[in-house]
Amino acid sequence: MQRSSQEFSRGHISAKEMDETVAEFFKRTILKIPMAEMMTILKAWDFLSENQLQTVNFRQRKESLVQDLVLLCEKKRASLNDAAILDIVYTQFHRHQKVWDVFRMSREPGEDIDLFDMEQFKRSFKKILQRALKNVTISFRDAEENAVWIRIAWGSQYRKPNQYRPVYVVYYSQTPYAFTSSSQLRSNIPLLGQALTIASKHHQIMKMDLRSRYLDSLKAIVFKQYNQTFETHNSTTPLHERSLGLDINMDSRIIHENRIEKERVQRVTQETFGYYPQPRLEFAQYKLETKFKSDLNGGILAEREEPLRCLIKFSSPHLLEALKALAPAGIADAPLSPLLTCIPNKGMNYFKIRDK
Amino acid sequence: TAGTLVRGLSVLAHLERLETRMHRSRKKLEEPQTVQAEESALVTEIQKLRRLRDKLRAEVKRRQAGVKASTANVEPDQTWEITEQEVLERKWENLKAVLQAYRFTGLSGKLTSRGVCVCISTAFEGNLLDSYFMDLIVQKPLRIHRHSVPVFIPLEELSAKYLETNIQHFLFTLCEYLNAYSGRKYQADRLQSDFAAFLAGPLQRNSLCNLLSFTYKVEPRGQSFPLCARLLYKDLTRTLPTDVTVTYQGMDALSTSWEEQRASQENLFRTKPLHHVFTSFARKGEMLDMSLVS
Repeated sequence: MQRSSQEFSRGHISAKEMDETVAEFFKRTILKIPMAEMMTILKAWDFLSENQLQTVNFRQRKESLVQDLVLLCEKKRASLNDAAILDIVYTQFHRHQKVWDVFRMSREPGEDIDLFDMEQFKRSFKKILQRALKNVTISFRDAEENAVWIRIAWGSQYRKPNQYRPVYVVYYSQTPYAFTSSSQLRSNIPLLGQALTIASKHHQIMKMDLRSRYLDSLKAIVFKQYNQTFETHNSTTPLHERSLGLDINMDSRIIHENRIEKERVQRVTQETFGYYPQPRLEFAQYKLETKFKSDLNGGILAEREEPLRCLIKFSSPHLLEALKALAPAGIADAPLSPLLTCIPNKGMNYFKIRDK
Repeated sequence: TAGTLVRGLSVLAHLERLETRMHRSRKKLEEPQTVQAEESALVTEIQKLRRLRDKLRAEVKRRQAGVKASTANVEPDQTWEITEQEVLERKWENLKAVLQAYRFTGLSGKLTSRGVCVCISTAFEGNLLDSYFMDLIVQKPLRIHRHSVPVFIPLEELSAKYLETNIQHFLFTLCEYLNAYSGRKYQADRLQSDFAAFLAGPLQRNSLCNLLSFTYKVEPRGQSFPLCARLLYKDLTRTLPTDVTVTYQGMDALSTSWEEQRASQENLFRTKPLHHVFTSFARKGEMLDMSLVS
């Protein structure tokens, strides 16, 4: 069988048959992919060629299709790393299935210019993790905008890496931010942070109080890319194009009693939230440790010396758009509390509030 | 009784008032000169007003006649207005165009309700590239409200140093950084898109485009040996690399002629923009083809 140079660099040439665990991993990864996306994801994976894909019947039952595909991968001597890359591709298409945390790194001021070398970063990252943990699978996939997706399957001293509970890290080169998928296996997070920090030539790393399923919104928030309509002499769209819903064409029998107040609320809302689509978050959480303040005299809570501990959570399919709609809908007064409106500016959706 | 007394008093007061008034009017009637003087004054006033009225009527008639005369060829009443409006509109369009054209100077701005929106339009070798914006709020302290500068450009550093103290320096330095970044990005993009045939592998780059690493051949389909190039741009305000390393792939010791070639390649990358270097390779190849044919 002819083997191209590509295949040499990809997999290891060990046993004739693929390792059972690897085959199983392939099977379960391909099984995850919805039928409608199968072709797209396999093409993006770019491991099986067009010709090879054409030899497979994509109209059969999924179980049979998966079997055929796994056989193809075996024939092509696909390695664990190839399977891991497929897993990354799947996750890239289904990034909303994970909850993402954001880490911010920093370095001492006055450092040399950051000459980021992606290959050096990958080597360094891998070396640091492998030095600390004997059993760990690390895979990389380059992404657009000079970013890299890293997949890490953790093992331990005596156990092989668990391929079914990996952690993903997305890092944009020469930025201080890294996005990681939340993992139950928290014990390895400090090591992960260390590897990221050193490999990207930073000195410190800290976890931000920002979390969401929507990776692209998190990126928009920390990179400050969400508010991008600027006033120029070239802009043809007028800024104040939003109508209040108080159309002139409306029935003349309808009178708006509160026109002035409605316009004020509209103006304040636009000033706070701008004219752009809000980044997408699902919740905001406020942990209160404050003394209870009440206008009413008496009451059980009023005389407590200790601060009241309570957790307030706002949930929504699209929290910021929902907050933006509150005042115009008449549910809340405008302007809203800065605790709510500061979320994208501060890059936080977890707050701890104590008495000053 | 007290009530009747009060009532009586008010009635008396009323009668007094009537009496005074009667005296006054009698007085006036008894002074014919004053009355006459008043009368004649009023008459003069009436005559004056009549004359004014007649004058105005005549003026109106005259103008109407004049306008009627000139309506022989054009629309009445509107000629003069259209011309002035047209002139104003043209002036306004012109001014708007000038303001829009300021973009081509590289640094322009528009006043906003709270300050100014600065626009930095980058360019490289006469090609207009990306524009970046900054919303400045003119307050004490002067601050950047929001911007579209990429996160890997050291904007915070620059603004911390210069925004308050020397805004001109801040803007010019930022222009330098952004133009240089745009230029480097342009060169890398050109290499990837136009000269992919010369590359033996993907171009490695980073966000700032200040480290480029690639393997290439001087002739795309030739027998020439692949070379490895590593370009470092340590000066972020420049579009040419500060450090260039070119090696023949997998070869350490070189003969003098090969060493010369290697050194000359290094020099090329150090002195010419990246895509120009490859353009010259392409041209050399063309010349070679031509010489072979002839």
